[in-house]
Amino acid sequence: MTQPVLETRSVTIQFGGLVAVNNVDLTLNSSEILCIIGPNGAGKSTLFNLISGLYRPTQGSVFLDGRDITGWKPHKIVSLGIARTFQSSRLFNDLTLIDNVVIGMHTQTSTGVLRSLLLPGRAKAELSAAAKKAGELLHSISPELFEKRYMLAEELPQADRRRLEIARALASKPRVIMLDEPSSGMDDRDTDALMADVRRVMSERPGLSFLIIEHDMRLVAELPDRVMVIDYGSKIAEGDYQEVRLSPRVQEAYLGQKAANA
Amino acid sequence: MHLNSSPNRVQFAGNAKLEMLIVVAVELLCAFLLGTFLLSDSTAIIVALLCLMGGVFALLQIRPQIEKSIVSAFANQRILALVLGFVVIVAYPFFMQGSSYAIHLLIISLLYAVLALALNFQLGSANIPNFATGASYGIGAYTSALLAINFGISFWLTLPAAALVATLFGFLLGFPSMRTKDSYLALVTIAFGIVVHQLLNNFSWTGGPNGLVGIPAPSLFGHSFIRPIEILGYKLPSQANFYYLTILLVIFSILFAKRLHESRVGLAWNALRADPLAAQCQGINVVWYKMLAFGVDAFLAAFAGTIYAFYVSYISPDNFTFLVSVTIMTMVIVGGMDNTLGVIVGAFLLTLLPEKLRIFSDYRLLFVGVVVILFLVLRPKGLFPQRIRNYGQRK
Amino acid sequence: MDALFAQYILNWLVLGCIYTLIALGFSLLFGVLNVIHFSHGDVSMTAPFFALAFVQIVVAALATVLGTWSIYLGLAVGILLTGMLGIILDWLVIRRFRAAPAMMALVATVALGSVLRELIRALYPQGSNPKSFPSLASGSIELGGVTIPNFSVLVIFISVAMVAALFWMMSHSAIGIRIRAVAEDRDIARLMAISPDRIFAVTFFLASAVGAIGAIFFASHAGVVRFDFGVQLGLIGFSAAVIGGLGSMQGAILGSLLIAGIDSIVQITVPDGASYRLVFIFALVILTLVLKPSGILGKPVFEKV
Repeated sequence: MTQPVLETRSVTIQFGGLVAVNNVDLTLNSSEILCIIGPNGAGKSTLFNLISGLYRPTQGSVFLDGRDITGWKPHKIVSLGIARTFQSSRLFNDLTLIDNVVIGMHTQTSTGVLRSLLLPGRAKAELSAAAKKAGELLHSISPELFEKRYMLAEELPQADRRRLEIARALASKPRVIMLDEPSSGMDDRDTDALMADVRRVMSERPGLSFLIIEHDMRLVAELPDRVMVIDYGSKIAEGDYQEVRLSPRVQEAYLGQKAANA
Repeated sequence: MHLNSSPNRVQFAGNAKLEMLIVVAVELLCAFLLGTFLLSDSTAIIVALLCLMGGVFALLQIRPQIEKSIVSAFANQRILALVLGFVVIVAYPFFMQGSSYAIHLLIISLLYAVLALALNFQLGSANIPNFATGASYGIGAYTSALLAINFGISFWLTLPAAALVATLFGFLLGFPSMRTKDSYLALVTIAFGIVVHQLLNNFSWTGGPNGLVGIPAPSLFGHSFIRPIEILGYKLPSQANFYYLTILLVIFSILFAKRLHESRVGLAWNALRADPLAAQCQGINVVWYKMLAFGVDAFLAAFAGTIYAFYVSYISPDNFTFLVSVTIMTMVIVGGMDNTLGVIVGAFLLTLLPEKLRIFSDYRLLFVGVVVILFLVLRPKGLFPQRIRNYGQRK
Repeated sequence: MDALFAQYILNWLVLGCIYTLIALGFSLLFGVLNVIHFSHGDVSMTAPFFALAFVQIVVAALATVLGTWSIYLGLAVGILLTGMLGIILDWLVIRRFRAAPAMMALVATVALGSVLRELIRALYPQGSNPKSFPSLASGSIELGGVTIPNFSVLVIFISVAMVAALFWMMSHSAIGIRIRAVAEDRDIARLMAISPDRIFAVTFFLASAVGAIGAIFFASHAGVVRFDFGVQLGLIGFSAAVIGGLGSMQGAILGSLLIAGIDSIVQITVPDGASYRLVFIFALVILTLVLKPSGILGKPVFEKV
């Protein structure tokens, strides 16, 4: 059996008395899309925060390519190849779209203070090369975004914000991208475009895997290879969408006990 | 004084002649107005100049197109702008009618410009509050003055020594920023500033409240800086020596600022300013970049401190109080965060206003306070707002 | 009990009370408006001047009728006017920075503080010079061999009463509950038919009036008052509120007692302590924030991602 790209082994985090994520095992294989679903407050975003290093698990470990990265700082984890987006799309609002993507390439570039002061030519060349690549990346995600590349990020409509965030995440050349509710605030057409984007991005980048938190069941039914359901911090089901949705525990979690029994 | 207008080329198919005219007119006009302001003793003229400035900024606010044309003219005629700017700056003391007071005001303004540029890395680029720039400034001044007085070390060698000591202080100051932020971090820096001021005020080896006197004037190739400059029959007051020295420091600081701004480091700071958490998730080592901003701020401030100490030859703790730090913050915010030209103009404005308003004697600080508040209310993004990076490409 | 030791404790409590009255204002304003009102110390410091000015006018007019009571009337007027000054300054300046970045509001209020100081200096006769300020209570009582100045009793008694009243008000009165609602969430409070603007005005009045009492005690404790006393008092009050945990009223009290404690200890134990007191106070501030980045009672902020 091949080694999973990303794996969590019984990760748990407690805030005071609240167990926000409880003993969750997760595996994500190369070139796979895994969707995480569950009611609001189930601990999905917290799981992302654990993987990306924003929180440190109380128990359990996170592995990337078999390497234990538990407790690593977020910026280290990005440089190892896990990029993410945020539920509330956290762009650098007072910067341009192109700046946003170039910042996403931080781990791909290397200029520090001394080089930028003493070898400004090389520092500038590196940055314009990065800008050129960023432009191409933006263009490949959406030619319209590329046209708007000197606009400030705060001026973008919601669907474009999501796309820019995905572009920014791709800029770090990740092995795994975690999307936190990418379709929120999108209409059906935008969601279709999003799914097409994800598929195209994957076909262009062999080996890239996606971990997606989603509420839009149309997307959950169509896009992922596997689905994982979390409720009250614990994993309650995992597998193919069709199986998972028929699971009584999942129905209970979503609809309440009575409705599930009815 | 327009060395730094970052190229922001707008689609402006203006013809070259018009652009050249704009560049020449703007530079000469600014130089002329500044000169008039510096040399004038008449209340009426000073008030009229202030009104004129207010009017110009009001006009720019109403008609952004004018600002755009000027910016693009400077971007397209960069060489002309730089050469003419250089000539104006070099020739400037010759037009000061031998007034050492006017040149003194210029030097102080330029030193504050350096301090404002230093703080701009933190406050403007990375949105990290720092109320201790005055302390770094003071540490630079005291380090070099002590080295010169006690060990007879030359001014030119004290410069790097002071910078080193202040940078270490900057990192120390930045250390709590690993965990504290916002108002809490602001208070940490305030506290550091007060502790430094109080220690300078109390130690005997720093001269206590009396400070240090008799800091020897620097000399270069046998020319002492307390002697007047004589060129081609023209005689410039001795302050001109320090004017040129300070100009060099300002150019150095502008280059410093520009190079950092146009590199990965400047972008990382900007990311930090917009959203520290998202910045972390792009691979930016937030702690390091915060500390770095503190270090860079202190580094540049130390140079300004050293030149100040050797210029006035007398320093005391009261030159480096909390209120000095606040003044520097105000310069950055009034001038325009993350805009080099803006913070320089802010520094000039806030240095010259209280000096030239001595005519209002008792009311001048009151007046300055009111002007600052009005500026913040009326032009919240500063005199010159942040410009967009264009990565050397046409927009 | 050692009489000298008791004196120290007393001195500590008096300072602690004065700092608390200032720090509470910072905490209240931050908790409700999320603003650092850096001129709070200067606003508070207008109260002794209002009081002095009033007394001088009244004494000239009807001293014979009121006699020594004129000073107390003056104080009441001073506290009231300072409270109103808080509202006016908010309306004139501070409210314009509600949506602005925190640092802008900070710098604006620093400038505002300098405007206030300069106004006192310019408007008050010979405003640059220190003015003597009367002690609010003379005489002392003996208790078990310890001499307790009546002034200390007055300060401690009134401060404790003020704090108790404030706490009661915040938890039990209708206006206190509204203030807390606005502090929690302005928009939802608005939906509950609470007008945030009015609550802000009330908060400014409260903070400034409580600060005014602190400043009056401070002036009376020192025996003099000068136009720029507000800078240092404001800085110390702000520090107390921050190390206690901004927005927490208990924290403001704790922070004030800590700072007053180190202030008193240094003045007694360190040689030349009076000149080094600020070094120790602010070193304590740095140390506290390095160890507890959100203050002692402040909740660590878990940013929602």
